[in-house]
Amino acid sequence: MRISVSLRSVLFFLLLASPVFLRAQFQQPSDEELKMTADPKAPGAAAVYLYHEETADGPAHASIVYDRIKVLTEKGKELATVSIPYEPSVDKVTAIEGRTIHADGTVIPLTAKPSDLVDIKTKGFQENSVTFTLPSVEAGSILEFRVKMRRDEEWTYLPTWEIQRPYFVHKAHYSFRPSAFTNMMYAFNIGPNAKVVQDKKDVFSLDIADVPPEPDDDWMPPMNTLRRHVEFFRNTGVTTGLAFWENQGKSWASWVEDFTKPTGRIKNALAGIVAPDDTEDKKAAKIYAAVMKLDNTAFTREKSKAERKKEKLKDIRKAEDVWKDQSGSDDDIALLYVALARAAGLKVWPMKVVDRNRAMFDNTYLSTYQMDDYIVVVELGGKKIYLDPGQKLCPYGSLHWKHTWATGFELTDKGAILATTPGLTYKASTIKRVADLNIDADGNVNGTVRLSMTGPNSLRWRQLALRNDEDEVKKQFNESLLADLPEGVQPDFDRFEALDDADTGLVGIANVSGNIGAATGKRFFLPGLFFQSRAKHPFVAQSKRIIPVDVHYPMLEQDQVTYHLPSSFNIESAPQDADNTWPDHAQLKIHSSAANGSVTVVRTLAYNFTLLDPKEYSNLHDFYQKVATADQQQLVLTRAPVAKGN
Amino acid sequence: MPFALSFRSSRLPRCLVALLLVAVSPAGADWFGKDKKIPDWGLEAAKTHTPAYAKDAPAVILFDEYVETVDAQGRSVERERKAIRILKPQGRHDANCGVSYDVDEKINYFRAWTIADDEKQYPALDTDFADVGDLAVPVMLSTEKRRVVHPPAADVGATILCESEELLAPYQQEMAWRIQSGVPVVFQALEVDLPPGRPHSEAWHRFLPVKPVEAAPNHWRWELKDTPALDLRDVRKAPAWAALAARMDVQWGDAAVEGKDNQWRAIGQWETTLEANRSDPSPEITAQTQSLIAGAPDFYTKLGRITDYIQKNVRYFIVERGIGGWQANHAADIFRNRYGDCKDKTTLLISMLQVAGIHAVYMPVDVRRGYVDPDAPSRYGDHMITAIEVPANVQDPRFKAMVKANDGERYLIFDPTDERTPVGNLPSELQGSYGTLAAGAASQVIALPVLGPETNGTERRGSFTLAADGTLTGSVDSSHFGPTGADLRSMLKYTDQKERREDWERVIGETLPGVTLDAFEFTEPAALDKPIEFHYKVTARQYSHQAGLLLLVRPRVLGSDALQFDDKPRVYPIDLGATGRWHTSFDIAIPPGYVVDETPDPVDLDLDFASYHSKVAANGNVLHYEREYVVRKVEIPPTEAASFRKLESAILTDEKGTAVLKKQ
Repeated sequence: MRISVSLRSVLFFLLLASPVFLRAQFQQPSDEELKMTADPKAPGAAAVYLYHEETADGPAHASIVYDRIKVLTEKGKELATVSIPYEPSVDKVTAIEGRTIHADGTVIPLTAKPSDLVDIKTKGFQENSVTFTLPSVEAGSILEFRVKMRRDEEWTYLPTWEIQRPYFVHKAHYSFRPSAFTNMMYAFNIGPNAKVVQDKKDVFSLDIADVPPEPDDDWMPPMNTLRRHVEFFRNTGVTTGLAFWENQGKSWASWVEDFTKPTGRIKNALAGIVAPDDTEDKKAAKIYAAVMKLDNTAFTREKSKAERKKEKLKDIRKAEDVWKDQSGSDDDIALLYVALARAAGLKVWPMKVVDRNRAMFDNTYLSTYQMDDYIVVVELGGKKIYLDPGQKLCPYGSLHWKHTWATGFELTDKGAILATTPGLTYKASTIKRVADLNIDADGNVNGTVRLSMTGPNSLRWRQLALRNDEDEVKKQFNESLLADLPEGVQPDFDRFEALDDADTGLVGIANVSGNIGAATGKRFFLPGLFFQSRAKHPFVAQSKRIIPVDVHYPMLEQDQVTYHLPSSFNIESAPQDADNTWPDHAQLKIHSSAANGSVTVVRTLAYNFTLLDPKEYSNLHDFYQKVATADQQQLVLTRAPVAKGN
Repeated sequence: MPFALSFRSSRLPRCLVALLLVAVSPAGADWFGKDKKIPDWGLEAAKTHTPAYAKDAPAVILFDEYVETVDAQGRSVERERKAIRILKPQGRHDANCGVSYDVDEKINYFRAWTIADDEKQYPALDTDFADVGDLAVPVMLSTEKRRVVHPPAADVGATILCESEELLAPYQQEMAWRIQSGVPVVFQALEVDLPPGRPHSEAWHRFLPVKPVEAAPNHWRWELKDTPALDLRDVRKAPAWAALAARMDVQWGDAAVEGKDNQWRAIGQWETTLEANRSDPSPEITAQTQSLIAGAPDFYTKLGRITDYIQKNVRYFIVERGIGGWQANHAADIFRNRYGDCKDKTTLLISMLQVAGIHAVYMPVDVRRGYVDPDAPSRYGDHMITAIEVPANVQDPRFKAMVKANDGERYLIFDPTDERTPVGNLPSELQGSYGTLAAGAASQVIALPVLGPETNGTERRGSFTLAADGTLTGSVDSSHFGPTGADLRSMLKYTDQKERREDWERVIGETLPGVTLDAFEFTEPAALDKPIEFHYKVTARQYSHQAGLLLLVRPRVLGSDALQFDDKPRVYPIDLGATGRWHTSFDIAIPPGYVVDETPDPVDLDLDFASYHSKVAANGNVLHYEREYVVRKVEIPPTEAASFRKLESAILTDEKGTAVLKKQ
């Protein structure tokens, strides 16, 4: 068995004379590797990468992936199935070899033919996956495989080395020889004690050891801020990042100035939107309202080729085309706003930012592709106002949360600069829940719940309503509300107020009914914090953290619950007042009061942070533990003893 | 992205093979459609008014017609014509047509058009079509693809028209006509055009049979009008959607015979023939089996060693190419590779049992209880298990999952794909279902048993100390057996230590907010019929709350037996999930200086399908909580809804129960 494997290796070696491929040969495992049952460097891990290698040789148009993996537990056996996506029009899979080595040294080669499966195929694009599964895997096995591909000569390599794998990596080697005519740069985050080396033959390489697994936690910031990687990109002739952003900024500025030129058609359109004697504020708001009315295909759908042909629609090349079509993408509409505002004489600039729900700006990655969406900055009365015309139903003067605290190009009087949008404060993102509940002597409850929302909370529901009819939104709202109510209480959603009015808070009203009481002989208990009795608080269970926390945006939650009690009940104890403050970060306040047979409990939770360093995690954990326990308080009532049945 | 390696894997405890074939509406097709003119049938269908009963639906199917043209060998060309009207924005998702095809099949043509609300007509262009691989299951390698169209002008009010024609695989000699959908259907029809003399049989599931019209000699047409949607979105504890959805199966192959029993026999015979010789043992299999059973004192031991070997050593992985969706690989290959899907695991098991002198047969089933209907014979199902013949002289109480065939043979039903349920027991989702005993001429459909509560459950004991400041600390020792234990073992198998900690902190935190899992340990005996133990220590700060001079404590501490329920009128059966017995016993030492002032009332509820007993008692400075929840049925009819509500209400009330401690 081993002889045949080594013969194949020799042939393979002869085929791959390129120096970048010298490493990726099958290796005889050491006794230590064979006997390994756990890895002190990765306690509890299901598997570890003993070695991982990726090489790409531009001049040879060839690449190799090579892995040696130690399976430590049953779960680790999942790594025996390998699936490598590729584009058949760009790459050809030329060789796949693999084998499983049992802990006793027995070698079982891969003999089953790998499958080449279509992932997706459209006119002009196809992605396949070459998939194989290594045989006879057991806990203790070493999995070893090598996949070789050949790239079409019309294509060059632009690799991204994802340094972190799903499991701990003991050693890894990456190598990239660019094609002769390409000049490469790279952005990287590879952690300490590692360095990308560029040799005299322009081969880039990286040798790295002891790489922790990919980060995986709740409430993580975008992966591009965490993952270790090396990302290659073409050198556009600049030597520093500063020069790159300046150069690219100029090109972008030129394009966007041209796109948003206040042409005659734009000026005509403006005449129907604003009055000459409108103030600047009024003009800005009126233009915003006008573009919000257009068909925003990010919230409906893009017209197909067949439709555009039928309707004789041309491709959008200028802002005026968007107005002419009365339709455009979110970016088109944002830029149309800029064009109209420019025509109105406003001081207005477009800004192209990274979508913070996807990534955060990386100034070492010299690529403008990382910027996603257009927003608008308008200066009114000497003050910068940020607008989001591409986000349908986003209130005038505010941004979708994914565009807050987001970096990108901003066009200014001095040209394009890199700038960051402001973040939200907790006051701009609120949820207020008011419940008015009648309780009977058996603990049955009925009443109303009124939810008022502002900021991201209301925008989410409003944008959902753009893609669904109101009945569907009501259903989803009802399902969402159910999770906030105590066990045994059902919501019956009644109505929305201002679902399509972006300039005011969104209100949802529901009737609730059910049974929430728990009784003993003398007493009756109700959830002290009606909306929190089954809340799943974050950051409570996990006591330590090494990854930053990202909550997307700050928030203010206010609950006000009034229980109207039957006359036979007396209040023995209400939830204790609480005031837990985490200075400069968060606060929980609980206050209860009783009057005229009713008890009202008011709870306010505010947090005014977005991203937190892991150093602050223990404070966050402490705070939420207090929140979780305070929220479990009960309202204790006394009642006349009830005679028990037989 | 030449180096973007992605490792597909995860567990799929069940085999979805045949389901995938039935889940995609078989229809016809060619590479991208070129015919731009809307055909007459489409124009006619689009004239259909939206019926009043569809006004709340996201979309409505106005017309859906299948025509199966069967040749002399039984191979079919299938044509589908379909018209869907979008009624709401979210209805766009219902307006995508698609045609699935595999290596043995060919799409002859596939065309689509849209008639917009303003009557404008749009043909779908080449760029509106895409082929999508079958990537839904991470542990599957499948050659099946689906050609989909994203119709132009798919807005509210538009009618989408699709027509396709497909040459089906030669072994596809049954049409599962899925007559119920997530949206209402105004008109639908099925035609089966058979060669002279070729018989057919039909069977209906959850639908009153409709007689066909013979449109031409041996050319049959069924028509249905105004079929309601099946919407289970707001139905708590509903059985599987596919089990409740109406369908009709038409057979024109071997199973096109008179009488249900004969049809099931033919289906089982087909399965038997298909897998013939697949389980032939290789010398390696023989050697391995002989080594395993050497010295085994009895039938149970011999059997258990073999099933245990397969459960622990054959990795679940599906390789599916064309007929491979139905037919297993050869036992020798499965043994060599040590991986396979449900058919493969059954094949290897049958092979090894054969070496051991034990006869076993294939049993196609479906994990969606109720999908396999004895009154609707069909080859379709989503899973394969094993029926092991138990000799008449073997009477072993450990064999719980026993069935008796019509010919008097006794079979032990066993699922080798379930890597953790021991032989003798049966995964809960299979209990109460039906399977096809593929025993050649002795084939039949057979009811799978519902096992008694003693075969499944959890025994949980906890000891806690409550401090005066409300902090609760303590330890819990739990023991899990039967399918419940199997689930826990599976969780252990497919998680690492970090994931386990996170999972358990989340699970415990759901009923014990603010809890910290201080330590945890699993004791997992190698023998699958032994309970798995879970020991953990917890701290919950401010578990109890001061209320004036009182200290309030919830004696239940953690864990919940409550199922979701509501007060809506019930139409569908209620799925209880599993039979079993779950017992909890907790002791809470109360803080010095406090006495128990009040405890919740005990709960004693005995019903036909379940019982619940709970009590709280004060023994000195210890608060003792004890409860037992027993479920005897896996599913109850809607007429039992009131009893179900009573049960769940009682459980909920008990779980909320509060004991009152008073300072002395």
